[in-house]
Amino acid sequence: MKLSWKSTIPVIGLVTAAGLALSGCAGGAANGGGAAEGGKTLVVDASFDLKTADPNRQYETTGQIVAKALYQTLLTFDGDDVTTPIDGLASYEMNADSTVMTLTMKDDAVFSDGSPVTVDDAVFSLQRLQGVKGNPSFLLDGVTVAKVDDKTLTLTSEAPKPELPFILPNGALAVVNQEVVEANGGTTDEKDGAEAFLNGESAGSGPYVLESFDAAKQVVFTANPEYKGEKPAYERVVLRNVEGPTQKLNVEKGESQLALDLNPDQVAELSSANVNILSSASQYMIFLLLNQNPEVNAFTSNPDFLEAVKLGVDYDKIVDLAGEGAARPGGPIPSIFVGALDAADGNQRDVKAAEAALKASGYNGEEITLNFPNDITVQGLSFNSIAESVQAQLKEVGINVTLAPAPVATELDAYRGGTETIGLWYWGPDFPHPSNYLVFAPGQLVGLRAGWPAEADAKSVELANAAQAASDADRVAAFEAWQKQQNETGPFIPLLQPAQNVVTAKSISSVSTNPVWTVDLASIK
Amino acid sequence: MTERSARRGIPPFVRYVGVRLGLTVLLMFGVTLVTFTLTNLVPADPVQAALGEQAAADPEIVAKFRAEQGLDQPLPVQYVTYLGNVLQGDLGTSTQTRQPVATELADAFPATIELAVAAIVFSAFIGVGLGLWAAMKHRKFTDQVIRVISLIGLSWPTFWLALVVYYIFFFVLGIFPGSGRLDPAVIPPPHITGLYTVDSLLAGQWGTFWDAVNHLVMPASVLALYTIGLLTRFARSAVLEVLDMDYVKAAKAKGLPPRTVTFGYVLRAALVPIITVLGLAFGSLLSGTVLVEKVYSWHGIGEYSFAAATRLDLPAIMGVGLVVGFVYIGLNFLVDLLYGAIDPRVRVS
Repeated sequence: MKLSWKSTIPVIGLVTAAGLALSGCAGGAANGGGAAEGGKTLVVDASFDLKTADPNRQYETTGQIVAKALYQTLLTFDGDDVTTPIDGLASYEMNADSTVMTLTMKDDAVFSDGSPVTVDDAVFSLQRLQGVKGNPSFLLDGVTVAKVDDKTLTLTSEAPKPELPFILPNGALAVVNQEVVEANGGTTDEKDGAEAFLNGESAGSGPYVLESFDAAKQVVFTANPEYKGEKPAYERVVLRNVEGPTQKLNVEKGESQLALDLNPDQVAELSSANVNILSSASQYMIFLLLNQNPEVNAFTSNPDFLEAVKLGVDYDKIVDLAGEGAARPGGPIPSIFVGALDAADGNQRDVKAAEAALKASGYNGEEITLNFPNDITVQGLSFNSIAESVQAQLKEVGINVTLAPAPVATELDAYRGGTETIGLWYWGPDFPHPSNYLVFAPGQLVGLRAGWPAEADAKSVELANAAQAASDADRVAAFEAWQKQQNETGPFIPLLQPAQNVVTAKSISSVSTNPVWTVDLASIK
Repeated sequence: MTERSARRGIPPFVRYVGVRLGLTVLLMFGVTLVTFTLTNLVPADPVQAALGEQAAADPEIVAKFRAEQGLDQPLPVQYVTYLGNVLQGDLGTSTQTRQPVATELADAFPATIELAVAAIVFSAFIGVGLGLWAAMKHRKFTDQVIRVISLIGLSWPTFWLALVVYYIFFFVLGIFPGSGRLDPAVIPPPHITGLYTVDSLLAGQWGTFWDAVNHLVMPASVLALYTIGLLTRFARSAVLEVLDMDYVKAAKAKGLPPRTVTFGYVLRAALVPIITVLGLAFGSLLSGTVLVEKVYSWHGIGEYSFAAATRLDLPAIMGVGLVVGFVYIGLNFLVDLLYGAIDPRVRVS
């Protein structure tokens, strides 16, 4: 029988469609559905900022998740409580002036190859962190790490470092297997070459070992049979790099069991019948800065104008914009950290007072630029929406703001170079201790970005120094006093802490989150 | 054979290939120069983009980073050094991951190749078929319907379409699996080509093969829809032009079967412009489609280049520029060869 082209094309189409349908059925059978049923494999979706699996070099959110699963630290935190460090691989004591910390190793930990975790491994790891000069190396700036005996090491600094116990739980200070790492090119200086090895194989004592690592795609973990702590509920964990909208559909469908990066709008669309939603205030603090350098802008450096802006912002509205779980800090220190100021003690909106201050400043409606990065989000929250909201609120009190969004790669230079007029940025803490926020003091890292040198506000400098040197008993009061001074005279306006939203499938009964490592994969049940 | 090449004893085709290869080298040199210049014109410091808040404030760390990346050298020196390394196959080290860019590209590219090939094969059959059908049914209802379909394919925003398709076929209907190239519980096949479909076939892992095909259907279909729209319009236009030719009318008048006329005369003559569009479309797909790759977590060259650009990872940006340039130049060359294979007039000229 001769086939005409009229019948050939429909036949081809039918065959193609049948093939696709067949592949759908066959593929479905091949999948097995193990992950969706919450069996041995746990699937976690996150938006990666991952660069490395080397714990002593990583300093990203996703890197902390990875390090927490593979390694252990000398000290740690219990669940989501970051106000009190607890024992990890060691216990600790601090001397009265916070210049010498003594750590005593515990006996029970072993690495994934079965060898015991010793004080030599701890010393090597901390010195490696310092020596490789990577992103997290600054955490132990000014600290000398030394072995005392077979069970003890000391961390000594000339200046008081009361934050040290809060730094040690950071995944960058994870303890690695010295013998294995040195055998693969590891050193405690810049010649270190063990990163490539550690990106392929872990050398830790944590609940998981590294099965595979791809910084762009996914990280796969397998349960560590040598781990001495509580065995994780899942034998295998796949941490995947997935965009927010796709994360939402995946977790609702059960394709993944956890979604870590849904924004407030996406969370609001979820039904609690299908998923569990854990919303809490995150550790990130979004703020405005007004440049105090008159050469940058005559108005933002004017105290009355600064006052007008502080009184003109509608803080409650901004927090509402950020959705469920967001919080307003009273000062630069987030509400979940020791020393945080209550929101009621922060600046409050007062339109009439704002207008009066604006009039006193001599402002006549000139356009004031608000610079911000438009291609990054903080816990899924876009800077665009916050900037637009601030613009509208300041308009109500008579301030004309022109938005100047730019990619973060280009805007970062202006921010760090101190040339922005009004900047909208965020601070992610290096460690959960109030002293990390002294960078906002005059003459300090972020203070200088707002054109605020030390000599500009002697009172704030004095209070900052007092807070840094305060004893444990006086610390909270000292930091509160400093923050109140910052709110009064400083160029920074803390706006909000966006919510951290962790969405889980119904099959998940418990998950432990933490501001330092986001989620502890081994704790998921 | 021309007189000159006859005198030198060089077959014209060999001479043609030689000249094209020489031009390719020059073009690639131009690509590196333009990419290097443009990336260095961006008013941003890659050091700031790569280092954290505190690290960027430490002069020692900054100096070390600049020295490692060669950023402490004058721009011409940086370019010459880069060029020298490229000639040895070294595309530099990513400022973000500190891994060789060549390795990262070799990792990302197969994913894009797999997606692009699937999309182009699908769209070639459907697009050319629809275009041919529309031309044969010129000005009839079928023609109008097909023209509307092609317009829709061209007009729908890819990102939106990708999400809609994912929502309908994965979330609502559950016909196809979720994002990624394989199911999380499936271990990737042994790496040979990096294409999961091919590697699983070579390893005899049928379950993995079907899983890979399953995951490929949605993203490839979304990408194919735009190319189908494009190809349909070009194919229709090319075929309509040929249908009016005397030799087609003569073939029909001679009583040749309609299928012979359509495929042997009409389609063959119309293939040259169609192949040009196919080549361009394939090149575009191989350059990476960021939005589709992001929605389907298909970690290919598109996503890699987006991340490199936003993080100001200069070596990675340069590497992507080289790869994309090479893809277009290579495809252009292939298309030119195909012209000669299809159209004897091109061969003779």
